[in-house]
Amino acid sequence: MLAEPDTPSAASSSPTPILDAADLCKFYRRDRKSVVAVDRVSLAIAPGEVLAFLGPNGAGKTTTIKMIAGLIRPDGGTVRIAGEDPHSNPLALRGIGAVLEGNRNLYWRLTALENLEYFGVLRGMKRRAARLQGMVLLDQFSLAEKKDALVRTFSRGMQQKLAIAVALVHSPNLLLLDEPTLGLDVEAGEHVKGLVQAIAAQGCAVLLTTHQLDVAEALSDRVAIIRQGKLVAQATTADLIRQFSDAAYRIEVEGEISPTQRQAIAALEASVWGNVVHYMGDASGLYQVFDILRPLPILQVAPDRPDLTDVFLKVVRSGTILG
Amino acid sequence: MELFWAELKRSWTEFIRYPAEAIGGIIITTIVFYGLFLSARYMAGPAMQFGDRLDAVVVGYVLWTLTLFIISDISLNLQSEAQTGTLEQIFLSPFGPSRIFLVRALAGLTIRLTLITAILLILMGITGSRLQFPPALLLPLITNLMAGYGLAFIMGACALLFKRVQQLLGLFQFALLFVLATPIETWSTQLRVLGWMLPMIPSAGLLRDLMARGEALDWGVFALALANGTLYFALGMLVFRWAERQAKRRGMLGTY
Repeated sequence: MLAEPDTPSAASSSPTPILDAADLCKFYRRDRKSVVAVDRVSLAIAPGEVLAFLGPNGAGKTTTIKMIAGLIRPDGGTVRIAGEDPHSNPLALRGIGAVLEGNRNLYWRLTALENLEYFGVLRGMKRRAARLQGMVLLDQFSLAEKKDALVRTFSRGMQQKLAIAVALVHSPNLLLLDEPTLGLDVEAGEHVKGLVQAIAAQGCAVLLTTHQLDVAEALSDRVAIIRQGKLVAQATTADLIRQFSDAAYRIEVEGEISPTQRQAIAALEASVWGNVVHYMGDASGLYQVFDILRPLPILQVAPDRPDLTDVFLKVVRSGTILG
Repeated sequence: MELFWAELKRSWTEFIRYPAEAIGGIIITTIVFYGLFLSARYMAGPAMQFGDRLDAVVVGYVLWTLTLFIISDISLNLQSEAQTGTLEQIFLSPFGPSRIFLVRALAGLTIRLTLITAILLILMGITGSRLQFPPALLLPLITNLMAGYGLAFIMGACALLFKRVQQLLGLFQFALLFVLATPIETWSTQLRVLGWMLPMIPSAGLLRDLMARGEALDWGVFALALANGTLYFALGMLVFRWAERQAKRRGMLGTY
């Protein structure tokens, strides 16, 4: 039923993914017990691809992202950024840009351009080059007018855009975005979504975590869902949604569905909500549902296409874990 | 070098961004030095006493305040970065945190030394007093700072693992006062050997010889001071890198 997690190499359309994380594991000791935070998680992202990494709170998303960024040492598994291990080769960090959730990511006492210049040098650029690239990014992110304004005077939306610009100043090939639209108003959220699309279009691989599943659905090429530290689904966003909508139909009738009809419908993997029947079986069974509903007039029959929110809820509520 | 200039610019910009804070700091430093120039030696507080001459009092005070500043600089910086949520961005740099915090500390030291020099020059102009230091003074000063940075990295390691280190810093200052003010060079040979192993002791002894006793630099003791500074600096780096690995293993870099 669920989309099987892809193997990293199969997951990407490119033979050389920018990110290749394999079998990542992390355990923590709490109250003298070993608690599994992340259990054999494998992710791969090709250049220009956006992977939405979804999961409930505490599922292991941030721990995984930080293991990829070299900020948390994994207890098992490997991370490769463009073939280099950030845990053993610090130069591999030049390939990473990150905006981490719960962090300011910026110096509030500095201006927008000063932040871009400083962090550019911190990532190995020359000051002049960082400044020039900073100006380009400020222009691209509609922040050029604010280049000399102190970051502490920025709105949350502007700060988030600047944090993304700072993460991109050294032209990384992997961008890690942990909850990039959290706390933003609708307009700022839409702007950030547009920016992420533009960044990916320029060839940067993007790993995105978010609880806003409409954002994930709009932006992602692929989705990976993690629950209790384990990857429970990984597929292209379209495939994942299709898998859940392949055999689902929504049948709307006129009039009241009788208790006898309801009982018969329930036996056919279908459910009744008012005068609407949701049928999850194959197409041949659909005619059996029609027979049961006879003689009620049928107003509409349509494929019951779930959105990513429906898929996500089904996957995380399911007891199944596919490995 | 690019990193040093970037850190210098960042530190200076952050320092002057709140002018009241910056000017207040400069005024206080100026008042203390002016007091010293007016022979009010008590203004130097618990400074190292290198003699009664103004030169010696000023050197003692500068060294004491610099050492205190250096030792707490890295750990307080780490705490502040963790609090404001920029620490993990520093750890994402290919330069590595130990190099960044060292360069940052050197940038901070440069700003502090420049301000002190400027204040002293202005005061010399106003009061007509003249300060004279033997150039050899720089050598034990450097070895003293090396050991100081070693201790600073050990405190930084504590800040990485324990997050808040204010109490520890207070205790450390007390120990430092003992270390820097004890005339270990007058002790018996056995105790002196033991004392040389403590951080900064040989350097402080040399400074006392140069400033208070007017002696020439003892190259043998300087070799000891250099070994002492190098050893503590290397130890500090090793401890800090160990703490960095521990913090990454325990996943506690971003926590505060």
